[in-house]
Amino acid sequence: MNINLDEIFDTTSFTIDREPHIVVDSEACTACDNRACTTCCPARCYSWDEESKKLTFVHDGCLECGTCYVVCRKQAFSRWRYPRGGFGVSFRLT
Amino acid sequence: MKTTFDAIVVGAGPAGSSAALTMAQAGLDVALLERGAFPGEKNMFGGVLHRLTALEEVFPEFWNQAPLERHIVKKSLTFMTGEASFNVNFDTEASDRTPYNGYTISRPKFDHWLAEEAVKAGATLLTRTTVDDVVKENGKVVGVTLLRDGSQLRAPVVIAADGVLSFTAQKAGLRRPQFDPSHLAVGVKALIDMPKETIDDRFGLVRDQGASNEIVGCTSGVRGGGFLYTNYDSLSLGLVLHLSSLSEGTKTPYDLLNDFMAQPQIAKYLRGGKLLEYSAHLVPEGGFEMMPEIVGDGILVAGDAAALCIVTGLNLEGINLATQSGVIAGKATIAAHQQKNFSKSGLAVYRRLLEESYVLKDLKLYRRTPHMLHNDRIYQQYPELVCGIMDQIYRIDGQPKETMTKMLLRAAKEKIGLKNLLADVYSGWRAL
Repeated sequence: MNINLDEIFDTTSFTIDREPHIVVDSEACTACDNRACTTCCPARCYSWDEESKKLTFVHDGCLECGTCYVVCRKQAFSRWRYPRGGFGVSFRLT
Repeated sequence: MKTTFDAIVVGAGPAGSSAALTMAQAGLDVALLERGAFPGEKNMFGGVLHRLTALEEVFPEFWNQAPLERHIVKKSLTFMTGEASFNVNFDTEASDRTPYNGYTISRPKFDHWLAEEAVKAGATLLTRTTVDDVVKENGKVVGVTLLRDGSQLRAPVVIAADGVLSFTAQKAGLRRPQFDPSHLAVGVKALIDMPKETIDDRFGLVRDQGASNEIVGCTSGVRGGGFLYTNYDSLSLGLVLHLSSLSEGTKTPYDLLNDFMAQPQIAKYLRGGKLLEYSAHLVPEGGFEMMPEIVGDGILVAGDAAALCIVTGLNLEGINLATQSGVIAGKATIAAHQQKNFSKSGLAVYRRLLEESYVLKDLKLYRRTPHMLHNDRIYQQYPELVCGIMDQIYRIDGQPKETMTKMLLRAAKEKIGLKNLLADVYSGWRAL
């Protein structure tokens, strides 16, 4: 048994909002020296592409934990809020 | 829809629902706002609920009234390395008698139940309702705006019980916009399906007895720890990782959790289990030093939003403190209504009552503990030291033995260094 984030939608429920609740200004990420979001996010929402020097953020599987908000050193969020009511992650058993 | 209330509570978690319940029982007209589709949908924790003394007046037979999984009778602490573990186990009949000392619970069920109790007492629960901002008039908080349509709800008192990041407290100017990563930890958890009988057999439990196990040394040197708790017919297994330490390394929380699940002594407990749900949440671990302002004009802050959380390495207290602070915030609001004084000074009784209760007394008592726990040696060298010593004590290899004292000193010198050992003992003694 292990956690495979490629299959997160099989084990954790989401009602995905088309409008993202987090918006990253990835310009700021280019100058970041540690990009802690990519290692700390427990849902692997952040990935850095070394070739294109670009940070990609996908909000679909976000667990709304707040880790990225705390570890970001560049204050790279042009928006960081919780999803609109009724949207986002839905813990059913935890 | 009604838009004016005697009090607005932001967040239907344990703090918010306790506040709403207290106020509704006293006849106040309360709005309880929850961003999830139901209370508990967004809430996650490791899994152990300590005894809720604050609610015992309202629920005299709490254990028969609340939806609980198991009551905890076994508590253990494990020092772990990649291949060994040393376990200290405390198992007492006292914890098998009511009032029970602690329980495992499922948050979607428990938080839902507590919020419904507030509704039964007369509170208005509004789900799918995310708060966007506070409404201020003449510097006083007089309501909130809702994200869905920018509409306003108004009340002379707003209680911010919206969790660890509390944007409500921030927008009211009570907490700084930036968090210190060394004050926060991320918890990741796997909920694992397992038949009740299998759990009973593996953990040595009967009826609805439960076990809780805290584990040190299972995080590849990242500061933090593991936990393994028994629910009725599932296990909660997870890690709590300090963000300041996690962000310096290269391992992700899910890699570390997978390593933890594969550790041989843990894997044995999980055998045959099936992953039900994966979840994550932040824990405010900074203690007293992390607390924001908790009283403002027309606003109070309770629960995780006020950073009311105590971590000693042996225990993690949160919901009991949240519930107590919610009840006290409710009482302070009732008093403010009686005096018709909703200013900061009118609501200051909240802080005073919290100071008099165990909540702030304990938080102050353990104010040095977060700093003590920011010591990398605890998470790697010490578990290795303990397991190494046990291995030498038990190992028969045809070699002559050295005295126990000599062996202990040599091992401590090699692994930790005597100067570090003394410093750590002193810091542990001061913190605990």
